[in-house]
Amino acid sequence: MRFNQVVPIIFFFPVLLFQITVISLISINGIIPDLILILLVYYSISYGQVYGTVLGAIYGFLFDLITGSLLGSMMLSKTVAGFVAGYYSAETRREKFLNTYAFTFIVLLCAVIDSVIFSFFSAVDFNTNIFKLFFDQALLPALYTCVVSAIIIVFPYRRSFN
Amino acid sequence: MIKFFSKIWENFKEYFVLILLVITSLFILSQNKSQEVQKVRAIAFGSFAVVTSIVSDLFNTSNIKSENEELRRVNSQLMLRISKLREYGILNEELRGLVGFKDTSAYPLIPATIVSKSLSRTNNTFTLNVGSKDSVKPGMPVINDQGIVGIVHSISEDFAIVRTLENVDLKLTVKNERSRIHGIMRWDGEELAIINVPETYDFKPGDRIITSEASYLVPVPIPVGIVAEMRNVETEIFSRVKVKPFANLLNIENVFVLGIVQSIQKENLELNLYNK
Repeated sequence: MRFNQVVPIIFFFPVLLFQITVISLISINGIIPDLILILLVYYSISYGQVYGTVLGAIYGFLFDLITGSLLGSMMLSKTVAGFVAGYYSAETRREKFLNTYAFTFIVLLCAVIDSVIFSFFSAVDFNTNIFKLFFDQALLPALYTCVVSAIIIVFPYRRSFN
Repeated sequence: MIKFFSKIWENFKEYFVLILLVITSLFILSQNKSQEVQKVRAIAFGSFAVVTSIVSDLFNTSNIKSENEELRRVNSQLMLRISKLREYGILNEELRGLVGFKDTSAYPLIPATIVSKSLSRTNNTFTLNVGSKDSVKPGMPVINDQGIVGIVHSISEDFAIVRTLENVDLKLTVKNERSRIHGIMRWDGEELAIINVPETYDFKPGDRIITSEASYLVPVPIPVGIVAEMRNVETEIFSRVKVKPFANLLNIENVFVLGIVQSIQKENLELNLYNK
């Protein structure tokens, strides 16, 4: 494994620190953006589908372990999200997906998938309206994450991630 | 043969990796209650929380922290006393004499600061800067001056993870302060609700909800919230009572861990539902 493939795991810890200490300050009605997912999508596109899937599993496992959420739930959702993001890692189109606003739409798609799977394993209640649940727990946080991910596009030093 | 398998691997390796990791995740999900997993988790979050608390302190702009803490302590003790006084007003002296009601107004309060918040719609948890060194134990209630905030879920030496009211895994036995009717309250990902309440039970919007003495986790009356809305579920036999919590979990920073230790005799007699 090359060093630049270990960098995403090193990056995970400061981003997680930021996620659990600072991000709550910009929550809107309890909805917060998922910075870990943005990082995951970025590296999945950069390094391919297999790498993205494994990285998703590592990110999810560490997140579950450190934050006290149901161990394995975030691992599962992030694994699938990394796998989906990896679809957009074709060498010929990689730059296009990373450098244009297409990136935000990939983040939106992955965030919806991630939230749906995570919600399914952590909050299944058959009395609740499934569409409302989808809207509140998947679509709104995904949209917020998507908006925040636009920062990656305008970030002038994004190559420093690599 | 090897060529055949290597060709299959080359063509479908992404799917093999995905399936393998999904199965691993599901296996880990099934191991959540294991003691070993709890130990690893305590070490992991304890180590990370050290860094988190430093960062959290940087964002804490309060210069009068100790005074604020003392005021909050007094406020919380007053809240508990008021809650108890409400109880006295409702229960008559004779009944209290019969059940051997004890004066429990001076509960030990362990002050704590929230060093990180893991916010999600379903699994809200807080990390506190107190742990087993401060005599905090899993199952202890966490309160602030407004009411109950959550329950300590796991601990390390210096830190504790709290399942807040907005966590689907936390279910509390509560009661209506006016009508004395008990119920199970839980967060369903959208709202806090007392579930499966028979239609004939007396709940009205505006009723105060407090924790019940019948609760294994929180056996003292602590304010929880007020009844916001009554809703019939489809069967029309049961109602769903929506509760608006007193504690605002979004902007909360300082809390108290209520150092209640269950009676060993009672513990031996009852099933420990929290650990099941």
